[in-house]
Amino acid sequence: MTCHDVIDVLADYLDQVLPPEIAADLERHLAGCEPCRAYLATYRRTRALGAQAARLEMPDEMKARLREFLLARLR
Amino acid sequence: MTSDEHLLLQNAAAGDPSALETLMSRYSGRVYRLAHGITRNPADAEEIVQDVFLQMVRKGTGFEGRAALASWIYRVTTNVALNKRRGKRYEVETSLEDFLPTYEADGHRAGPRAFLVANWSERPDAELLSGEARRTLEAAIDRLPEHYRAVLILRDVEELSNDEVAAAVGDSVSAVKTRLHRARMALREILTRRLGPSA
Repeated sequence: MTCHDVIDVLADYLDQVLPPEIAADLERHLAGCEPCRAYLATYRRTRALGAQAARLEMPDEMKARLREFLLARLR
Repeated sequence: MTSDEHLLLQNAAAGDPSALETLMSRYSGRVYRLAHGITRNPADAEEIVQDVFLQMVRKGTGFEGRAALASWIYRVTTNVALNKRRGKRYEVETSLEDFLPTYEADGHRAGPRAFLVANWSERPDAELLSGEARRTLEAAIDRLPEHYRAVLILRDVEELSNDEVAAAVGDSVSAVKTRLHRARMALREILTRRLGPSA
């Protein structure tokens, strides 16, 4: 397995849906490849950071406007 | 749809404030996050939330029994948000090709070794989610095409399965997986250029 092969299947690896033999190949590659270990670690962290950054709450004043908007149209 | 949701929609359609309140507390956050994630604009996201809720309540009990309300909400929100974006594309969006890994003929990644082994993943949230790093992350998300942002939000924030995301965006599972992976790789690359190897 090359670095290219590893990166192509990283998402499936993190989702734990790779066939066991391919996951084992990937882990063998990772054990000997510092760039791919760095790539996996930063890819995984990027996924978490992107999610944290996008986890917004709807502002309270917007909720109040939504409530008024709907009530005005449903009365 | 559950009988509880059926009753809520029926009551909301009749203008019952407490039914509306319950629907809002269950779903407005999800609609807002997805709408904002796609449009990256709070005012547009607010219009979309209003539009989706009005459609939902007016549709009322017309939902088919099999359809989960949440699935319908994700699908309609995605459609409305992408349609709104269609009218005003922003120039900041660029091709992702410049931010995807490149390889040597033998399959090794191309580039200076110091960059290839840069690993900023252990840095604390406080550093990565504030200041310059946060601005870099937000700007990187802005640069993604909206279809990619839709998939990223549905999968990584709302934690839907690939199948559920495919149903929401009206694409194949394989297209969803490709977009998701490319979006994450592009964000990773932009962050790494900012955070490593010497930063």
